Amino acid sequence: MRTPGELRALGVVGINMRNGRYLLPNNPRKLYGLVDDKLQTKALAEAEGLSVPETYAIVRTARDARLLAKSLADRGAFVIKPSRGSGGKGVLVIDGQEDGVYIKASGARLNREEVRHHVDNILAGLFSLGGQRDCALVEYRVRPAKFLTDISYQGAPDIRIVLFHGYPVMAMLRAATRESDGRANLHQGALGIGIDLASGRTVRAIHHGKPVTRHPDIDIDLIGIQMPGWNQILDIGVTCQEMTGLGYLGVDLMIDETIGPLMIEVNARPGLAIQQANGVGLRRRLEPISEQHHKRPGTGHFEKIEFSQTHFGVPGATVAHPQASQHCR
Amino acid sequence: MSPRWKLITAVLILIIAGGGLATYKVHSLGVPFWTGEKINEWEIEARVSFLATGNRVKARLSLPALAVESKTGQEVGSLGYHYNIEQDRGRYTAVWSAENRDESQALYFRVRFPNRSFSGGEPIPGELQALENDGLNLAGPVGEAAENIVKRAKAISSDPDALFVSLFNDIRIGESSQEFVLVKRHYDKEFRNTAAIAMGIDILGMAGVPARLAYGVRLDIERGSQAPVLLVEYYDGAFWKVRDPLEPSSVLDGRSIYVWHRGGGPLLDVTGGEGSRVSFTVAKDRIPLARLTDLSRSPLMVSTILGLPVAERNAFRYIVLIPIGAFVVVLMRNIVGVPTLGTFMPVLLALALLEIPLLRGLTMFTVLIAGGLWFRFLLSRLNLLVVPRVAACVVIVTLLMIMMTVISYRMGMSGGVQIALFPMIILAWTVERMSLIWEEEGKHSAITQVGGSLVVAVLAYLLMRVSQIQYWAFYFPELLLILLAGILIIGRYTGYRISELIRFRTFTHV
Repeated sequence: MRTPGELRALGVVGINMRNGRYLLPNNPRKLYGLVDDKLQTKALAEAEGLSVPETYAIVRTARDARLLAKSLADRGAFVIKPSRGSGGKGVLVIDGQEDGVYIKASGARLNREEVRHHVDNILAGLFSLGGQRDCALVEYRVRPAKFLTDISYQGAPDIRIVLFHGYPVMAMLRAATRESDGRANLHQGALGIGIDLASGRTVRAIHHGKPVTRHPDIDIDLIGIQMPGWNQILDIGVTCQEMTGLGYLGVDLMIDETIGPLMIEVNARPGLAIQQANGVGLRRRLEPISEQHHKRPGTGHFEKIEFSQTHFGVPGATVAHPQASQHCR
Repeated sequence: MSPRWKLITAVLILIIAGGGLATYKVHSLGVPFWTGEKINEWEIEARVSFLATGNRVKARLSLPALAVESKTGQEVGSLGYHYNIEQDRGRYTAVWSAENRDESQALYFRVRFPNRSFSGGEPIPGELQALENDGLNLAGPVGEAAENIVKRAKAISSDPDALFVSLFNDIRIGESSQEFVLVKRHYDKEFRNTAAIAMGIDILGMAGVPARLAYGVRLDIERGSQAPVLLVEYYDGAFWKVRDPLEPSSVLDGRSIYVWHRGGGPLLDVTGGEGSRVSFTVAKDRIPLARLTDLSRSPLMVSTILGLPVAERNAFRYIVLIPIGAFVVVLMRNIVGVPTLGTFMPVLLALALLEIPLLRGLTMFTVLIAGGLWFRFLLSRLNLLVVPRVAACVVIVTLLMIMMTVISYRMGMSGGVQIALFPMIILAWTVERMSLIWEEEGKHSAITQVGGSLVVAVLAYLLMRVSQIQYWAFYFPELLLILLAGILIIGRYTGYRISELIRFRTFTHV
């Protein structure tokens, strides 16, 4: 157990502080709707020209649900998710179809009825925040880049970037383990792998809050992995901040084998485990950003990325990698 | 104004409003603050008796202003007399009048007041009126002796209070100086048994401290019928104060003496009668709480719940406890960091526990949840939609409840019947929520959250069960404003939760 004094010295941000000092003053309630509803987030992102998984269908009524199977017949793989879901609840990943039977990522088979039931549950609001009626989103099934599938036990790892006033604060990669059952939830046993903002290399990994260097199920080193197109990823993050107007947010991305980085969702209440994954207290970064933001309110898009990269880079990891300097836009 | 100051202002306003209202109720209306507090009530009966001379009779008895003004119980007993209360500049007098009376007459006036009230002898600000007794009936050697006493007393006393104390102390212990004996003898002739007090009043007057007689009643039931106690009221330059000449150095204690008449003038004045006298009888009584807290006719802000009819009032017995539970939830979630299933489910559970013994309640809860959960998983195979599934859960929980009650009754535990009141919507909802979390986040998460809810519910229950807290919540609902202030303060707490000290125990800086 640590004393509050020790945690304060480490710059650790607790839930109360995140809510009271960063979320409440900077995230106006009315903006939450934009990110809690994935349909709206996607529409915003598309308007900004960000790449997002292609939408195959939007299911709004029970009639839509009945007709769904027909419209998906030639799609092969797809993902069904609730538009207002949170924390990966209600996400159904179908890897392929075989004579009207759907095959899940884990290999389990579902018939049409079961899929329709799942969609009905989504519509009834089973997975949505507050249980309100919802619609289901059917979209492109991301094929994660190989270096990512290599470090994950089933499931696709995603990248989480936390931004404050548009400045990247911290980033991490979340990879599934056997224990987490293909999910990327850290408290269910997924790995949190900290990424250096300057170089886009992984610097540290945690499993259940404890530092590890190798994947518990797969014999692979987790440290020193380079994210391809890192600056493009940060760029997407900053754009998400600009388009939503949220002061403090988390952006989740996946890297597709062929398309590259795709924005998956924006989270207005990003968790705190990212501190452990990076071994840095959030306050150590939020305070300088807050200061910079008040000193120079009009800082541009790329200057913000540059600010974060020069101030929050991890010394050991800053060895430039050819891919790290790729610039998009 | 920054949010910080807004919060401080709001908190202060809430505390002042809540605390002020409660203080007013306790001190001015006599509502007991502690539930175990024994509030006794005094009843003083003044009996005026005289021998009527066959003509028109008029009796005037001075009344304690305190009792008349605070409208504590008053009763008048006077057959065949016309009676009214006369008010004159803050003084009240009961006036009885009747025609053609003879033989012995008795009139009664009774007051009731709570034990903790003031004695009635508290200083009251007053302006100096012309001295009624200028004490100049002393002449010759007696006058000179009195002058000497005054001189001596003034030399050792700095203010009217000290003068009063030293003078009456001397009188009480029978100071045997030549002058004293001389003056005393003079008064003995004139006043008999009230000589000492009359002398003291006169000497005080000579020393420039206006003083006059006041009358009190000893709050002592052993005495039976008692004559009025002679007290002295004197003016210290700003206030009129009443003290007991037999205990000159102490302020009157409201628990042992009650000032019936002050402000000069006679206590009793009877015309058309002879041998008039007034005697007092004191009785002590426990006051029923219901009457003490009968604020139904008070202003809205004061009476609140108590202004409602009894039937409506009872519903609030539990409702006023909900904020207590909410406070516990806030404390446990935001300061301690205990995960709970939903925000206020523990409060409802705690309310449910109030109706059954704790252990049995928890057993019932656990069994019902476990049973409900098992059926819920059976149901999940049927691929039901959400609303029908929750409804099915309600039905199952109801059936389980019936079964448990019947079984416990058969086993001789009649208390099981009480479970009928256990709010089953909460149970059904808990089963549904828990099963979802079980599926989504794993059984570990589900059990932690239900366990956390139970712990918080039990804590809230333990607090809500304390009779003192129930009493405060019910009789002093304004104290909830102070609770609200506490919640507001916690609302701005951005420090670590205790659970986070554990969560980040392995946190190391790279």
